[in-house]
Amino acid sequence: QEIKVTGKVTDESGVTLPGVSISIKGTSLGAQTDALGAFAINVPNGADAVLKVSYIGFVSQEIMIAGKSTFNIILKEDKTSLQEVVVVGYGTQKVTQISGAISVIKGEDIEKLNPVRAEDAIQGRASGVTVISPGSPGAKPTFLIRGIPSYSGNDPIVVVDGSIQTLDDLNSINASDIESINILKDAATTAIYGIKGGNGVIVVTTKSGKTNQKPQYSFGSNYGVQQVMSTIGVLNATEYGAIINEGSVAAGGNIIFPNLSTLGVGTNWQDQIFKNAAMQSHNVNARGGSEFVNYFVSAGYLGQDGIVGGGDKSFFNRTNGTVNLDLKLSSKLKFIANTSFVNIKGSGVPENSINSVISNALNFDPTVPILNNVPNTYGKYGVSNNILSEIYNPLTQLADTYNESNTNKLYGKLEAQYNILKNLKVTARYGYTNTDVTGKGFTPLSYYGDAHINSTLDAAGNAKTGAHNNVSESKTTYYNFTFENFINYNFKVAEDHNFDVVGGYSLAKVTGNSINGSRQDVPFNSWEYADISSATGVAPTSGLNVGSFQYENRNMSYFGRVNYDYKEKYLGSFSARRDGSTTFGANNRFAFFYAGSLGWVVSQEDFFESDFFNYLKIRGSYGITGNDNAQRQIQRISTDIYSYGLGQNAGYTFGNEQTVAGATIGSFKNEDLAWEKQKQMNIGFDLVFYKNKFSLTADYFQKNVSGLLFIPTLSLYLGSAASPFANIGTTKNSGFDITLGYKEDFTKDLKFNTNITFTTSKNEVTETNGGRIDGGYYGIPSQNVTRFEKGFTPGYFYGFQAIGLFQNTAEITASPTQANAKPGDIKFADINEDGIISDLDRTKIGDPFPTFTMGYSFGLTYKSFDFNTFIYASVGNDIYRAYERNLNTTNKYRGVLARWTGEGSTNDPNNPRYTFSDGNRNTRVSSRYVEDGSFAKIKDIQFGYTLPSSVLKSKVISRLRLFAQVKNAYTFTKYSGFDPEISGGILDSGIDRGAYPQARTFSMGLDIKF
Amino acid sequence: EKFVDYSPKEDYIITADDYLKTTDDYQKMVIGCYSPLQWLWAVPVIGDVASDNSVAGGENATDQIPLQQIDDYQVVANNGNLAEIWKSCYEGINRVNYLEENKLKLDFTGKDALYGEIYFLRAYYYFELVKIFGGVPVFTDKRLSVSDSRALTRATKQQVYDQVVADLTKAIAVLPNSNIQKGRVTKFAAQALLGKAYLYQGKFTEAAAMLENVVNGPFSLVTNFRDIFLQAGENGTESVFEIQYSNLSPFFDWDNAGRGQGNLAVQLAGIRNLTGDSPYGQGWSSNLPTQNLANAYTTGDTRKAVTVLDIEAYKTANPQFNITYQVAPYKNTGLYNQKYLPRKGETSGQVELNYLTNNRTIRYADVLLMAAEANNRATAPNDTKAQTYLNRVRQRAFADQLHNISLTGTALRQAIWDERRLELAMEGDRFFDLVRTGQAAGKITGFVVGKNEVFPIPQQEVDISGLTQNPNYN
Repeated sequence: QEIKVTGKVTDESGVTLPGVSISIKGTSLGAQTDALGAFAINVPNGADAVLKVSYIGFVSQEIMIAGKSTFNIILKEDKTSLQEVVVVGYGTQKVTQISGAISVIKGEDIEKLNPVRAEDAIQGRASGVTVISPGSPGAKPTFLIRGIPSYSGNDPIVVVDGSIQTLDDLNSINASDIESINILKDAATTAIYGIKGGNGVIVVTTKSGKTNQKPQYSFGSNYGVQQVMSTIGVLNATEYGAIINEGSVAAGGNIIFPNLSTLGVGTNWQDQIFKNAAMQSHNVNARGGSEFVNYFVSAGYLGQDGIVGGGDKSFFNRTNGTVNLDLKLSSKLKFIANTSFVNIKGSGVPENSINSVISNALNFDPTVPILNNVPNTYGKYGVSNNILSEIYNPLTQLADTYNESNTNKLYGKLEAQYNILKNLKVTARYGYTNTDVTGKGFTPLSYYGDAHINSTLDAAGNAKTGAHNNVSESKTTYYNFTFENFINYNFKVAEDHNFDVVGGYSLAKVTGNSINGSRQDVPFNSWEYADISSATGVAPTSGLNVGSFQYENRNMSYFGRVNYDYKEKYLGSFSARRDGSTTFGANNRFAFFYAGSLGWVVSQEDFFESDFFNYLKIRGSYGITGNDNAQRQIQRISTDIYSYGLGQNAGYTFGNEQTVAGATIGSFKNEDLAWEKQKQMNIGFDLVFYKNKFSLTADYFQKNVSGLLFIPTLSLYLGSAASPFANIGTTKNSGFDITLGYKEDFTKDLKFNTNITFTTSKNEVTETNGGRIDGGYYGIPSQNVTRFEKGFTPGYFYGFQAIGLFQNTAEITASPTQANAKPGDIKFADINEDGIISDLDRTKIGDPFPTFTMGYSFGLTYKSFDFNTFIYASVGNDIYRAYERNLNTTNKYRGVLARWTGEGSTNDPNNPRYTFSDGNRNTRVSSRYVEDGSFAKIKDIQFGYTLPSSVLKSKVISRLRLFAQVKNAYTFTKYSGFDPEISGGILDSGIDRGAYPQARTFSMGLDIKF
Repeated sequence: EKFVDYSPKEDYIITADDYLKTTDDYQKMVIGCYSPLQWLWAVPVIGDVASDNSVAGGENATDQIPLQQIDDYQVVANNGNLAEIWKSCYEGINRVNYLEENKLKLDFTGKDALYGEIYFLRAYYYFELVKIFGGVPVFTDKRLSVSDSRALTRATKQQVYDQVVADLTKAIAVLPNSNIQKGRVTKFAAQALLGKAYLYQGKFTEAAAMLENVVNGPFSLVTNFRDIFLQAGENGTESVFEIQYSNLSPFFDWDNAGRGQGNLAVQLAGIRNLTGDSPYGQGWSSNLPTQNLANAYTTGDTRKAVTVLDIEAYKTANPQFNITYQVAPYKNTGLYNQKYLPRKGETSGQVELNYLTNNRTIRYADVLLMAAEANNRATAPNDTKAQTYLNRVRQRAFADQLHNISLTGTALRQAIWDERRLELAMEGDRFFDLVRTGQAAGKITGFVVGKNEVFPIPQQEVDISGLTQNPNYN
């Protein structure tokens, strides 16, 4: 007999759940919970019927009615990933129905890490993604999704709540606002983004409120101290004196330090520049909703000081505010407004070059006292009488470093959704980012010693002839928008054939404009007065300069996708996109991209009966994406007296007249330039086994890039006009992405989870059409270390192979001719076997990219205590040690102590004799400086304690957790530098010019929920 | 779909389509043809370092590697200085060619003379190329485009010289005798260069005739040799052609260090870590004169002290300057290139990159000596004339008539050659003179006959464009 069953559905914390579907098993009857979580349903056969309660993100339940008529149903949140819904391009999809390759990172994992930048949380947690983090506060990491496909930029795009942004924008998102990050890796998932998707897509979803959700508040705060993890072994003053003497005498010169015994240990400048630096973050947010409005509101502050020079000179301070609103204007019309405001204040010190603070600390004279101790002389800090160019006291440099930048950024989206039918929805979305950056820098007159070439003050503290201080200011506005209109339609054919279709178009615009100026002669040589308005320099000779730039790139596209599944067993997806870009000329303005994927959920088959395997899906995809990351094709007339970085001088000065601006053709154009295209194939599977405790996802991919956009090397007789981009070359990438998870609830109190990711990618340049790119200068003498060349990894290390040391003149005579070699000098390999050691003998001496990377996370909770740790490992990457300036009298790396001192003393090619007169060029680019940069880093150790409710006894606070955390606790590595993680562009990767090391951070914090 | 149309005007970019519509556009583009002259700062340095006049010096063997290779006679094809010279000359040629290509687009007063200037410049660039590399690709009708990459081959040495002669002949026909703007090309500059080009081809009769025009031109020798090389002496009465450098538009671009308005060769020549009150600035102790050069001057020759600076002697003689300096760390000779030493107050901005010192490219004294040689070696030699011209130079050097030379024939020829060294030392002519006159092997240690008469074609050009390398450079 029919009975009426009523009830209420809540989650575990008692919050009512609207929209939960209630059905009666074996029938087509069903109902949904209302705004208050209540439902009512008539059950025909009340005694035997079974209620099926299901809700996205929660574990479905089946409840025997057994004659009862009221139910209070509590749904448990589903923490197994299989039930999750993933945001894909222009829609969402259940994880189980996806046949492409996606990595998912949950908000709670990100929140737990307290990362400065959200993508720090991705490192090692998403397989197939390589993140190389820089140490400098707020700096952008190297980010590679599935290898190095392209030469002209490898940054993936970032899609925040549907609006398209760039990797640079990720540093403005408050990590605690993030609900989830999905990384779309294969062509099937990225092709709908067309040209933007070529390097992968990071989809960020921020938090929002839920309908009829009671207000929830949370507050999180932590405070920590950062310190340098290790310093580099350099010579102390006595050792330095002895080596300098030896070098001088070997070159026929005098003893420079006659009395070594007075030198002592001297000054280790690294100890002077590295400071303990504070780091703190505080976040507060609220979320909730009514029938008509859902909201999420948050505010946050993050302050990070730099360990080089401390917070006075180097910092990254960010203040965020976010309001996300969903308004249900009618049953059919919904309006979404997400708005975030960010302010970033920053300041930095010179980094990653031979003139950086770290480079000066490593190379400066250790015999110099910290403070100037010579009475009646100018200057606060000591000066060297031995080093008179390029390298100087890093403390003076720090004291004379002044800059600041202020960024105001407003971003978000406005979106309207209209349900024409229940399964037919039209969406109009306008996503925008407006960024205003103002910056100021001041170069004061400096004193590094009377004879030092970089001194702009003389020994009395007066400006040298022709020397001026200089202040520069700039204001830049970046404005980007995407305007997208699309229709989602889902329908069934013959009950079990499910179709989900989306189609639409998109317009996108990226603009930037800037005005900048500089002026000399700031009053009192002081930062306090450093402003163009107060400076007194007069154009043109005394420096009053102005400049500006502007650019605008536009894209338009049509796109469409069909997702299909049959009983969630057979899956298919096909997407296509036609893209237009202002980058290309009329011939190639538009391009067409497509992708398709298929999946088979084997475990849904009737024949699949296994108690051990709970779920198995096999997937495959293939498709094409593109890249328009090139300069426009313009034959530009340059009327610059000179243009910085291009060497395109077009001016001339007759006699003593003012310089006349001339004109010339500044750039070539290539009318045939077309889109770079990436073809990607992916096969993989998802497996869940042993009582749903283990999960394994593995993918193999192969990516072939053709029409690679890069600037080729053209015949030199074409002159010096800027070469255009061309579609030259191909690359091939392949690799495995593997994620293995295991979780176990041993008892109600003891829970455990662990996760391993494994990423490999093999990258090879397969064609360059004769072009070749040299890149990655290392210091001075300026020599190229890296190359982009056919048959090799992009950006591999290129130089001489050091094979030993010449022990005596007989050995030199017997070896291939090597100019100016003397006993004790490095013997280089005669690669081309022509009997002469020349530049033609340079060869591959290393590869900056790892063979594989791994992430290992481990979490344990016992009652109120929790413990989490995360280890990241990178294996097989080489580092080129390039932080030594190698001037005769600059300080040395301690390795020099093992140098060759006579026949038979050593044959280690890394340790030649030391002499001021290095005719053999022992410091040339060679394997001498290549080190194994493999490492395993304990990135995170965290202990937490959640106050049990019995202790808390609060009606206001629902949860309070205290934690202590150590980031970058320890690095296992053989590398001799600060930190084997060295980020940079592809042709700069792995060159350690004294890179800003990551800091070890000790912090404590608390999270409170109300 | 109009949304993705693009016009460079949106970004305020002037393109080739917008240009060469006014006289001013043409004049500006002619200025642009002069600019690459300034990038050739290394040519005179090489002219001495490769010879017995100077050594590369520098901080150590890895400092100024391209110059060290040239000095040590271990030049390899990827020499950076040579590649820069190659590229700069061809940039100049392409800039001239672009104007040639668009010659008929607009007519205006003064156009012929303007084109005379650029024909001179193209000849100058080709002459530098042929002097340094021998036969090189020759093209004159248009600026090359991307599709011309890898398409050209080397012309013969004679074909290059023919092009030089053709351009200069055209230039001479239209150029004015003088120009108010100092450093602008004049008819005399073109005649002097053409005379030099004939001399390099062994066409002495033509050279003598051509140079005679300049000898009889409005030039005179500056009384005090020293004054030529001071800032006040730039573009003086002895100047036939000077490459102009300036410190008025300070340049900061270390990535393209030699492409500004400053003369980088001056920074190279400077004394390392020099302090005190002397008029000289600091530099990189490179291109150091040899003792061999210093010893070549006889007593009473005023040119010696102007050409080489013996720093220790100078320091001792001028205690009031309180000079300290670092002894040149590599290949020290104790001597410095006084003609082109950096001087205080003559640079600006990034001090290393902005020395205003002009390159005294063709001096009247050089013309006299060339004319002397041409007359001595012409089909119908005129040794009297040769002696007269030679002795004008010597009379200025010694400030008397007692050192006049009355030799004739081959002895006179040798005397002229020797005089060229003394007069023009550290101005970049020595190596090319030694090669041209067949003396190189006898004077330069390491010089290999059949190889070192020219430098190697840049390796990149051989790799990319498939040009044939010069003999014995593989």
